[in-house]
Amino acid sequence: MASLMSAQQAVKARNGQFALPVHSSEGSAGIPVAFDAAAAGPSSAAADPRSDHIDHGVTQAPYERRFSPYEFNGGTTLAISGPDYAVVAADTRLSSGYEILSRNVTKLHPLTDKCVLGSAGCKTDIDQLRSVLDIKMKVYEHNHRKPMSTPSVAQMLGNTLYYKRFFPYYSFNVLAGIDSEGKGAVYSYDAIGSFERTPFSASGSGQSFLIPLMDNVISHKNRNDEKRQLPSDEVVEIVKDAFVTAGERDIYTGDAVEIMVITKDGIKTETFKLKAD
Amino acid sequence: NDRLFVGLGGLATDVQTVDQLLKFRQNLYELREERQMSPKVFSNVLSNLLYEKRFGPYFIEPVVAGLDENNKPFLSGMDLIGAPVYTDDFVVTGTATGNMYGMCETLYKPDMEPEELFETLSQALLASVDRDALSGWGAVVHVITKDGVTSRELKGRQD
Repeated sequence: MASLMSAQQAVKARNGQFALPVHSSEGSAGIPVAFDAAAAGPSSAAADPRSDHIDHGVTQAPYERRFSPYEFNGGTTLAISGPDYAVVAADTRLSSGYEILSRNVTKLHPLTDKCVLGSAGCKTDIDQLRSVLDIKMKVYEHNHRKPMSTPSVAQMLGNTLYYKRFFPYYSFNVLAGIDSEGKGAVYSYDAIGSFERTPFSASGSGQSFLIPLMDNVISHKNRNDEKRQLPSDEVVEIVKDAFVTAGERDIYTGDAVEIMVITKDGIKTETFKLKAD
Repeated sequence: NDRLFVGLGGLATDVQTVDQLLKFRQNLYELREERQMSPKVFSNVLSNLLYEKRFGPYFIEPVVAGLDENNKPFLSGMDLIGAPVYTDDFVVTGTATGNMYGMCETLYKPDMEPEELFETLSQALLASVDRDALSGWGAVVHVITKDGVTSRELKGRQD
């Protein structure tokens, strides 16, 4: 140990600087600066500073290395309910930082034939959450001899998220479907399972672009003209416009939008291309 | 002046200070040059003023809007150290920028008449601030045309 210390002091005295600080996502490490072996003498024989260039905060100032279990894979989801239909849409881009990992990954997941889950956030957490939900729904079907109704799915998803209250699923969900009376239902969630039935819901990186627009067009806020019931094809056009907007202004949203319309007769899917930039 | 408006949002004390500084510089310009300051020049002056304080900035995010000598509209927005962005459609600043970008992008079309522009702007603004806890309590809209300015106060949600 003593010889190591003297080696470092020798290098420090020579060029006034021990190591080039290197910062990476895993924390900072020091890379030793090479010093000429001719003048090294006893200190170079004692220890080679290059061999332990990750200092672990022992000899230099202590630093913290952090591994983050979460990553944000981007994306936006939107769901709107109608009198007898629900529309849910999500973009198909998967990104990590400034890179696009895939242009064709779906964020929508049908849970029953009357209920679709859309999630944005960390893809691995989303996949795991879906796995868990699918298993729980199968168990329910075996025990109750009928598929789960949408309000039950909503409650179950809320509970499942809260199970992991202290190490949450990084998943921002919207649930859309037809409830037991045949009306459209949309539920919004936060990451730890608080949920509420709402007329529409948007989540993900582009949510702030979409929500005020939905307030204005769907809930008719701040408008003086007559409010009227919107048919499902008009709502789909509104959704397409909204995603064009979100795709323009949000870097994580784009490539294509997958739109699912859920009615009592089943689920119809449509894909609409967006700008790929 | 009547064809040039600047919106200063951010720290209130800096808003007042910059407002006074701008008036000062504008007055000096008009005395020396014996003509009105055009919006492009004004925007440049503001940008310079903010960059002078690059390492201790004024905490404001301004927008400049006006009609130049040929009655062509001019828009520019800036960050707190004066980096300007010149657009021909819309600029937004403040706490609800995400909301407003979404609304403006969807509702905007080029070549709108003043009344339609007023409606569009009001809807975009009201919808955006209603979803922002830090904004609200009404709005003022100025529509600038070659014949003059029409100012209207909007009543929104008082919460």
